[in-house]
Amino acid sequence: MALKQDALWYKDAVIYQVHVRTFHDSNGDGIGDFQGLEQKLEYLEELGVNALWLMPFFPSPLRDAGYDIADYRTVHPSYGTLEDFRKFLNSAHERGIRVIIEMVLNHTSDQHPWFQQARSSRENAYRDWYVWSETDTRYAGTRIIFLDTEMSNWAWDPISKAYYWHRFFSHQPDLNYDNPVVREEMWDVMKFWLEAGVDGFRLDAVPYLTEREGTNCENLPETHAILKDFRRRLDEQFPGRMLLAEANQWPADLRPYFADGDEFHMAFHFPLMPRMFMGVKLEDRKPITEILQQTPEIPASCQWCLFLRNHDELTLEMVTDVERDYMYDVYAGNKAMRLNLGIRRRLAPLLDNDRRCIELLNGMLMSLPGTPIIYYGDEIGMGDNVNLGDRDGVRTPMQWSGDWNAGFSAADPESLCAPLILNPIYGYPAINTLAQRRTPHSLFSWMRRMISVRRSTRVFGNGSMEFLYPANHRILAYVRRLENETVLVVNNLSSAAQAVELDLQAFTGSILIEMFGKNIFPRAGKAPYLLTLGPYQFYWFRLRRI
Amino acid sequence: MLEVSTQEGIAAPRSDGKTVGEDFLTDDFVRQLINVGEIDILVGLHTHNNVKTIGPVVAAIQSGILQWFPRDRAAIIDADAGSSDGTPELVAGASIDDIRPQDFNRLALRTLHSISTQYGNSVARGTALRTILAAGELLGAKAIVVVSPDSTNIKADWLRDFLRPISTDDFDLVLPTYARPRFEGLLITNLLYPMTRALYGLRIREPYAPEFAFSNRLGSRFLAQNQWNDDDARAGCEVRLTLAAIVGGLRIGQCFLGAKNHVERNAADLVPALRQTIGVLFWSMESSFPVWSSRSGSQSIPTTGSEQQFTVDLQRVNRKRLLEMFRSGVKELESLFQSILSPTTLAELQGIAELEEGDFHYSAELWVKTVYEFAAAHHKEVISRDHIIQALAPLFRGRALAFLLENRNASASEVEMRVEGLCLDFERLKPYLLEMWTGKQ
Repeated sequence: MALKQDALWYKDAVIYQVHVRTFHDSNGDGIGDFQGLEQKLEYLEELGVNALWLMPFFPSPLRDAGYDIADYRTVHPSYGTLEDFRKFLNSAHERGIRVIIEMVLNHTSDQHPWFQQARSSRENAYRDWYVWSETDTRYAGTRIIFLDTEMSNWAWDPISKAYYWHRFFSHQPDLNYDNPVVREEMWDVMKFWLEAGVDGFRLDAVPYLTEREGTNCENLPETHAILKDFRRRLDEQFPGRMLLAEANQWPADLRPYFADGDEFHMAFHFPLMPRMFMGVKLEDRKPITEILQQTPEIPASCQWCLFLRNHDELTLEMVTDVERDYMYDVYAGNKAMRLNLGIRRRLAPLLDNDRRCIELLNGMLMSLPGTPIIYYGDEIGMGDNVNLGDRDGVRTPMQWSGDWNAGFSAADPESLCAPLILNPIYGYPAINTLAQRRTPHSLFSWMRRMISVRRSTRVFGNGSMEFLYPANHRILAYVRRLENETVLVVNNLSSAAQAVELDLQAFTGSILIEMFGKNIFPRAGKAPYLLTLGPYQFYWFRLRRI
Repeated sequence: MLEVSTQEGIAAPRSDGKTVGEDFLTDDFVRQLINVGEIDILVGLHTHNNVKTIGPVVAAIQSGILQWFPRDRAAIIDADAGSSDGTPELVAGASIDDIRPQDFNRLALRTLHSISTQYGNSVARGTALRTILAAGELLGAKAIVVVSPDSTNIKADWLRDFLRPISTDDFDLVLPTYARPRFEGLLITNLLYPMTRALYGLRIREPYAPEFAFSNRLGSRFLAQNQWNDDDARAGCEVRLTLAAIVGGLRIGQCFLGAKNHVERNAADLVPALRQTIGVLFWSMESSFPVWSSRSGSQSIPTTGSEQQFTVDLQRVNRKRLLEMFRSGVKELESLFQSILSPTTLAELQGIAELEEGDFHYSAELWVKTVYEFAAAHHKEVISRDHIIQALAPLFRGRALAFLLENRNASASEVEMRVEGLCLDFERLKPYLLEMWTGKQ
């Protein structure tokens, strides 16, 4: 299947986030690689996803899962060669799967030759590629992101005897985007990969590109100007490619990243994610409806990116203190589960492996306005390991089967890039793709069906949304519309059965057709429409005037 | 179906699993309750044309939930007696999001349902409480607090003070204490408090409170008592709830709420007030005889804040009118008193009725004996029980006048000492009550 020509392809995409390192090892060295990933494209095609987001695969000392890049123009030798990447990319495209790669613009590894040059001498040509200072007091109004590990955004460089600026780990110096040479170089890096055929970039940590005294050094106009310039070049030279912003901000602060449709195509909706978890635990739609009411309109060509879990902690930066305390208490009772301002757990363990609740959250992920992203392994309900450091507990090898090393690698178990999950509930003998692909009612099979129904209509990716507000606050109901198509979504956020009366007067005469079983429900009329829903049950109804 | 008595005087839910009181709720109200679902906290209101005060009360409730119980599932249920001034609409239209705390971090986590239902066209506090109790049971509320709709001085902290003992310390009933002007609440300080204390051995300062909180355990038991169709039983529901907790051996606590706003009452209110308080107390003595007859002395109950505070009284009291009403009562009701009171007590009362205001004195001991003889007469039903309660009104006025005169220049602590002295007299003379109660005369 060749890729369809569609400039707005990202709006109808179902994205699968994958870490090459932990997905499949083809050469038995204990580390996943591009040949291994290519071998598993069949599985991803069967699941039904039509886009992949690859975490960083560049040469790196791997002190931050590859987000500390030491060379932007090739592939980490553990993952294969540039040729392996190109081969994988072609295979993905042949299966109708687009590929989005990570681009860490904000910072490099301190092992990158640019930084090594920059610190070698104050007169070096690369010196001005980074942000230096004689003191550690500049930009004092800037928050520290990695609170658990960093004391300051400045780090002392003993070689050049000056401080350098870093918003993340101290081994990740920030690039100086006030330097036009840096901007040009980073565009060249992006161009390199675009010419290789990638379909888009997930631009990491974009709010932090520039610094100005007296500000919080986030979302600055100068940053937006740089990003718009990249977008302009992208549209001119590589039409149909996509930019996705990683900006962990409030909706109002995120809105400028879409500008007039001429900056980013997509941005993650960070504040929505924790509120979906909050909604099911509170059994109350309030957190979800509130944040979506506060979410501004975006240009028609733009799209929100929705996710439940990813490679990072479940971030709680975009919640209130009361909400954060609540989330910690209900989802991270064990303090080992907490990291920075978040919770480092996978989807299934977060939800106590409650299949109905997992399905409900995936149902919302697929039906709320935006493009859904599935984190690798969550489609089979993989577990995590909170005993591993940093966020490594949610980055364990993919569980393909109950065989040797979960079918991930032929290497000795001791040499695997990350330990396997072995516990009786989430361990690979119990949770693996082989078993689930053979079981019609497995989570995998259910997810495949869900994705198929999601992709059967453009309404979810492109339609408008309006909330219904039934008096039962445990019910989250909304209507998605696109042209002549109308879909009603009704979610029971409660762990108990609920009755709800919906006001469907506006759809009087429409027949409700349940989208999974295609069964007909009674016609909507002027009287309240009574539905009963089991625990965590949800319905997607297509409304038809026949 | 038969009720099964589990503890002294307390009935358990019916054995068919159906709770008494379910059927009287309207379908519309039940439909609204379905939308509320299971809750942790129910805040009950009983309203009737309270539009002038209900807004701040509801706002304070919302603030209290927001501040102290942000994670709890809560609902406000208003039982309305057919208001025509928009009170129910105001309650039902209230939203927790109307509260915009200065601190952004205090925004509400949850939906707070606010429901109003009409139970009739005239005020019937028992029916209102029954509605609230039934709603609480259907919703599985772990704690219920009833708030007076005219408590204009309500603070958000009240919810914490009422509900924390129930939700965290397993109390079943939490009653308020107030900072009262010296001469406010004389019915409580001179009759209800000392009498309840002497009978049941617990120092409950406000057994007849407009605000109170209780556990689902007490609520369910009280609701299951199949007396809701009896007009007499429906009256004085607050006292009956307190007595149910006492007699049932449940945990009772008090919380100090500060100043109580003063509700003006006219003299004609006294007889209904007596019916709903002392009438219920006398009535309860019948079934709880084994409990109260075996208790002597009294003990304090756990209280957050001070037990009671008296403040400077700015009220003017018409002492002359009180004296006149006492004198005329003693004279006009002599034949009734001959049936109720012992000759000695009656003679003493007739004697003090002759005194001028300057010499007027109705001693604590005489007052205690009067009350105890009334209780015994009520028990023996020497005349109509309602007439007995009505006949107590002029005598209470006499006692109130004496208390005013005794404490005219007293400090708050002196007033408190005299109230305590009266309570001790009630306790000391309890054998006299038993003698009268069980005696043939």
